[in-house]
Amino acid sequence: MLTVDKVSKSFTTPGGTVHALQDVTLSVKTGEFVSIIGKSGSGKSTLLSILGALDTPTSGSIIVDDTEINTLSGRKQTTYRASKIGFVFQQYNLIPNLSALENVMLALEFGGYPASSRLDRATQLLHSVGIEEDQQHRRPSRLSGGQQQRVSIARALANQPAYILADEPTGNLDSVTGKKIFDLLHDLSRSQKTTIIVVTHDLDIAGKTDRTFTLQNGKITTK
Amino acid sequence: MNVVTRGIKNAVRSPIKTGAIVLMFAISIALILSMLVARGSVLRKVDEVKANAGTSITITPAGIVGDQGGGEALTTAQITIIKNTANVSSVTSTLTDRLGTTDTNLTSSLALGSFGARQQRFEAPNSSASESTGAAHPAPTSRINVTGTSDPNSIATNGGVLTISSGATIDGNSSDNIALVGATLATKNNLAVNSTFTAYGKTITVKGIYTTGNAFQDSGIIMPIATVQTLTAQPGAVNNVSAKVNSSDNVASTVATLKTTLAGKADITSQAEQAATSVSSLESIATLTLTGVIAAAGAGALIILLAMILVVRERRREIGVIKAIGGSNKKVIGQFIVEGLTMTVIGAVIGFALGIAVSGPMTTSLVSNSQNSASTTSPTRGGGPGAGGFEGGFARAQSQLTTNLTQVSATLTPQILMSAIGITLLIALLGSAIPAWLTARIRPAEVLRTE
Repeated sequence: MLTVDKVSKSFTTPGGTVHALQDVTLSVKTGEFVSIIGKSGSGKSTLLSILGALDTPTSGSIIVDDTEINTLSGRKQTTYRASKIGFVFQQYNLIPNLSALENVMLALEFGGYPASSRLDRATQLLHSVGIEEDQQHRRPSRLSGGQQQRVSIARALANQPAYILADEPTGNLDSVTGKKIFDLLHDLSRSQKTTIIVVTHDLDIAGKTDRTFTLQNGKITTK
Repeated sequence: MNVVTRGIKNAVRSPIKTGAIVLMFAISIALILSMLVARGSVLRKVDEVKANAGTSITITPAGIVGDQGGGEALTTAQITIIKNTANVSSVTSTLTDRLGTTDTNLTSSLALGSFGARQQRFEAPNSSASESTGAAHPAPTSRINVTGTSDPNSIATNGGVLTISSGATIDGNSSDNIALVGATLATKNNLAVNSTFTAYGKTITVKGIYTTGNAFQDSGIIMPIATVQTLTAQPGAVNNVSAKVNSSDNVASTVATLKTTLAGKADITSQAEQAATSVSSLESIATLTLTGVIAAAGAGALIILLAMILVVRERRREIGVIKAIGGSNKKVIGQFIVEGLTMTVIGAVIGFALGIAVSGPMTTSLVSNSQNSASTTSPTRGGGPGAGGFEGGFARAQSQLTTNLTQVSATLTPQILMSAIGITLLIALLGSAIPAWLTARIRPAEVLRTE
């Protein structure tokens, strides 16, 4: 269970204070597949960063499985990200000089997975997202956008996280590939009961999720 | 793959960029090593020259060198001042004279030759004519050098004990009419131990025959200084003093004191002083190379620092992603430090090889250039004919010193190698510390927000 309670986030800029999030309150049940939609600058990515403990709210609290993550120390937040959260980014953000396999193994290393079984686990994960063996040894630059996003999903799943936070996962893909990626995430949420929170512009994708939250000017307008 | 493997892999991620950084760093390491080698070699030579320069001070009457020049010999009062000067541990006094045919029944064993004839041209029968024409007139014979000394060993050319081939040495403090005769002169005049000869109208007894290996010295006579002073009617006169100082550290101050107390009545020189002048150019090289080491180390640290700052800036997003997927600050910093160290180690290995190759020629070039420029500006001093034993030896030592100064061999000692490795590690540390700090400050949310 993930609960966001009256979370606000403000930034100080040369032009004045920007209120990215204002009193955002929501909750997501375990195994749920939810989407967050909204225009650019509405605060979607900021909310996702706060949920993933990449950023701290100005006020309010985020409780994940009975733990208030915004009050955790930096080291505990790192552990939380490594073990409980899987990130999927719009730009894939794979490490360019590592192969697909090594990118997945990197996440396994951070999650404390035993070194002896990392290779098998990474190979199995890449298979499960549809990356063939010859592609697994390629660097990201030699993979298509869709394949890179699949590797990114495999990396996010590496440590069997309870939550996957996906920021515009299909934003850089054509509609056909985007649909496949969405289906992959959808299947995961069903088969592994992983809670998935997707930030998207695509209303079609949002329409297929269990619930959709709409953000407007930093406030939740629709649940 | 762990932090170390990733760091090493990242270091060779962009071969051209890494190659350029490594090459620049290698050049700075090569400079550091060759400068350290040059400095070490030069300092060793400086120490060696200073150690060999000894603790002797030579004091001669102002304007007099050996039997040449003019002025007044040193007096008993001045010798007392010298003996009483602080740090002077012993004093050897010498008075030299030359015996002509009217002074002795001995025949000189040295051929006069054209050089000797020219030196005596003023004493030739028609001296006015010879002066105007510069032509040499044959003199009756060459002179016999007489050295009155308080220590006969001061005549030894090897700086040690005078070699007595037969008989025994004499007491320099005696006032008897006794002498040591050079082997060549003794042979020429059929002199043996206990033979007698006439000099200054007195009968002198030969107590021993000496050899030095020096043709001039082996054709001379050594007597106690008091005897020569009496025979030549110069009571208390001394034309050369060799004073020993108790420590090489006190030579300079003792020379300064004597210059003050003898107030222009004497010319005072020391081998240490001459050596200090001679090695000043080497000391300049040592200073120059130290500056070079500091500059090259600074440049090396700057190269690694700037390279790593660029790398960190270039990979801000990647660092953010690593932190986002659970990478701790420790792991990220470790990875970048390994990356920096990898470049440092590769650069250091190439730099050391390059440094070892160029340190020899660089040291030789620095020393020979320095000595060439020094030799055109440094005055030289010779013993001159008739100069005392110490004076002649002094001139030879000076010549040897100048020759030795150019013979600096570049040697890579374990100490120098350890210093170079230490400096390299310091550079790596300095070059990695700021980038590591920058890495730790990167917040993943800020990086990912820029998407």
